[in-house]
Amino acid sequence: MTRWILITALCLFAVPAWTERAWADRAGTVKTVSGEAFLERGGEQLPAGVGDEVMVDDVIVTGADGAMGVTFDDNTRFAAGPDTRIAVESFRFNSDSMEGDFLANISQGTVTVDSGDIARGSADAMKVRTPSAILGVRGTRFALRVGAE
Amino acid sequence: MSGNAIRVIVLMTAAMVLSACAADLKENVIVVLPEEDGSAGAIVVDDGTSSVVLDKPLAAVQINDRGEAEPVAVADQQVSEIFGQALAAQPLKPSKFVLYFNEGTDALTEESRQAFEAVFEDIKRRPSYEIWVIGHTDTVDDPAYNQRLSLQRAMAIRDMLVFRGIYGAVISVAGRGEIDLAVPTPDRTEEPLNRRVEITVR
Repeated sequence: MTRWILITALCLFAVPAWTERAWADRAGTVKTVSGEAFLERGGEQLPAGVGDEVMVDDVIVTGADGAMGVTFDDNTRFAAGPDTRIAVESFRFNSDSMEGDFLANISQGTVTVDSGDIARGSADAMKVRTPSAILGVRGTRFALRVGAE
Repeated sequence: MSGNAIRVIVLMTAAMVLSACAADLKENVIVVLPEEDGSAGAIVVDDGTSSVVLDKPLAAVQINDRGEAEPVAVADQQVSEIFGQALAAQPLKPSKFVLYFNEGTDALTEESRQAFEAVFEDIKRRPSYEIWVIGHTDTVDDPAYNQRLSLQRAMAIRDMLVFRGIYGAVISVAGRGEIDLAVPTPDRTEEPLNRRVEITVR
């Protein structure tokens, strides 16, 4: 009997840790998809569907005829054209304080970005890295093309 | 030469010049796009050697063979050509609805009741949606109190949405107290326009 009480108690303590970790790893939601579009996660290529969660460490991947749009939890929007790879290296956003940071690494392809609350919050909070440059985003729409190495 | 022949030569030359310009853009290009109202924010591009600030619509740099970011002219048409598929995949812009309350009560003003109804129309446009409800206050009380009050108000609006049938799991709440004023004011200043709840549907 005591064993079952202990096991139940342990499980109850574990649940908040699970949900907290899941919430902390969230970055955004897939909103548009066409053609070959994937989320690369843990070494696997998962076909992306509208409504799918995008997690920190995911790589947004599109094929030769693919395109995908993602809205992040701070209202930043990314849109990827074909043959594009965008790694969500870090994403943290506190909705109460508006503090956060966001680092995306675009290694190839074409991307348009509408920045959201993290970039509004402070000057160097949102950054986009490419093989040749690092961009500090201070609240704007922009587009970039990165040649495949 | 006839007038027509001259016009044809001028047009062909212009076309050649324009297409040559389009072909001149290097592989790695970064360009600022205008907002709907024509304004633009700013990005700072650091190529490892120096930094360039791009802060106007269509301000752009390309990376040259030495790895340096150099300013370059980019035309609207080039943006459509290069980024057409990405632009077509853009998610819908998040919609914001601002609700105000009758002085001293938890009752929405008449305009705010209409804004509240607009949320349900907006949801229909979106194949997949999430809702954020964010409470704000003016600067009258102290920051910690305002943060709690604004969160309570956001939760009250969330309850109204759930009561109307919205699935609770898609609604998130936040309280920003006085850190995100709609109208800048000094501390301890009443301002009804700051006492608001913003619903964002995205």
